[in-house]
Amino acid sequence: MIEVRNLNKKFGDLQVLYDINNRVEAGEVVVIIGPSGSGKSTFLRCLNQLEQATSGEIIIDGVSLNDSKIDINKVRQNIGMVFQHFNLFPHMKVIDNITLSPIKVKGMAKEEAREIAMELLAKVGLAEKAEAYPNQLSGGQQQRVAIARALAMQPKIMLFDEPTSALDPEMIKEVLDVMKDLAREGMTMIVVTHEMGFAREVGDRVIFMDGGRIIEEGPPERIFTSPQNERTKLFFSKIL
Amino acid sequence: MKYFFNILPTLLVGAKMTIQLTAVSVLFGTIIGLFVGIARVSRNRLIRWLATAYVEVIRGTPLLVQLYIVYFGLVNVLDLGQYWSAILAFSINSGGYVAEIVRGGIQSIDKGQMEAARSLGMTYGQAMRYIILPQAVKRILPPLGNEFIILMKDSSLVSIIALEELTRKGQIILTRNYKAFETYGAVAIVYLVMTLALSQLVRYMERRLETE
Repeated sequence: MIEVRNLNKKFGDLQVLYDINNRVEAGEVVVIIGPSGSGKSTFLRCLNQLEQATSGEIIIDGVSLNDSKIDINKVRQNIGMVFQHFNLFPHMKVIDNITLSPIKVKGMAKEEAREIAMELLAKVGLAEKAEAYPNQLSGGQQQRVAIARALAMQPKIMLFDEPTSALDPEMIKEVLDVMKDLAREGMTMIVVTHEMGFAREVGDRVIFMDGGRIIEEGPPERIFTSPQNERTKLFFSKIL
Repeated sequence: MKYFFNILPTLLVGAKMTIQLTAVSVLFGTIIGLFVGIARVSRNRLIRWLATAYVEVIRGTPLLVQLYIVYFGLVNVLDLGQYWSAILAFSINSGGYVAEIVRGGIQSIDKGQMEAARSLGMTYGQAMRYIILPQAVKRILPPLGNEFIILMKDSSLVSIIALEELTRKGQIILTRNYKAFETYGAVAIVYLVMTLALSQLVRYMERRLETE
């Protein structure tokens, strides 16, 4: 589903990603963990080209993003993204946040978009908030709307960039529950998170990054119980 | 006091011209400023450079000189007359300032908004149109109101090309009776009433946008 080859990323003189290679299979849930500034988010943002890789190749669903003929907007329609700070559109009602892109980008009929949006809202447990504005919702509710908004484009891949980091503790669970459901339904997911419980329970594979490199990866059980690399051990000793 | 009310009808005729001149110029200026402001944040370097050059030239030269260039300088190329010369000069001038207001409004919108829009497959243009600009407009309106007030006061400059707006009306009255203090005092009062009314309107707008 996703293949990354020799990905390097520099911001000016600062190199933040070194030679990343990875493959993500369809239906796989990959959790990326690691200290702040380790390049996790940048890696994720390269996948949907919110950041341009300095070198290397990303292949999504058989299509190389290096190919100058591809329409990046088309590619992005297949890749949903959920942000740390939700980034809902504050001037629109919840329902319009969700239906805008299906209508304007995909050319979907209003009624159909609305129907899908209501289904998704029900799925994330917020059907009664369709007519509310984002600032009338709690952080956890906003993030669930953001997930519904991304899903409305019917993507094949979902990227989560620290989706619970900006939430109050009591709201983290409701967001993680939605993500668990999604994983169970077979969505291909890449999740950058500090929620180790989620990584362990839901992840098919855990990637540990530090200093812009993939240090270690493998099944959650092995990574968490018997990490091989010293840096991984050090990281766990600090957070667990 | 009696003198004030004597000349008031004449001054109001001038005030009407002042308002008209200002309103039309701000309208055109806003249209120019919207395009130039969007161009200022364009990803195309040439477009960005052209827009920046426009803004720098307009803001770096006196309005009076700009008015002279349009009215006297272009008289052989296009003879617009006083009224349209004034409108043209003021619109171009106002466009430069409004462009900066628009740019500021666009850049004040959180970067995450553009990223969220793009991640949903929207083009840059769609993201601007549906997400960025509607939010920016709320932040643009109050400073735009202030621009209106500034331009209204600056419009007294056109008295110099003998367009009969408020200041010019005062000058004409003065040539008949030489009551400089009383006449210009009256002119100032009329300006003050207009700008006070406008700034109240701006403040009202600000309050309403805040509560939304």
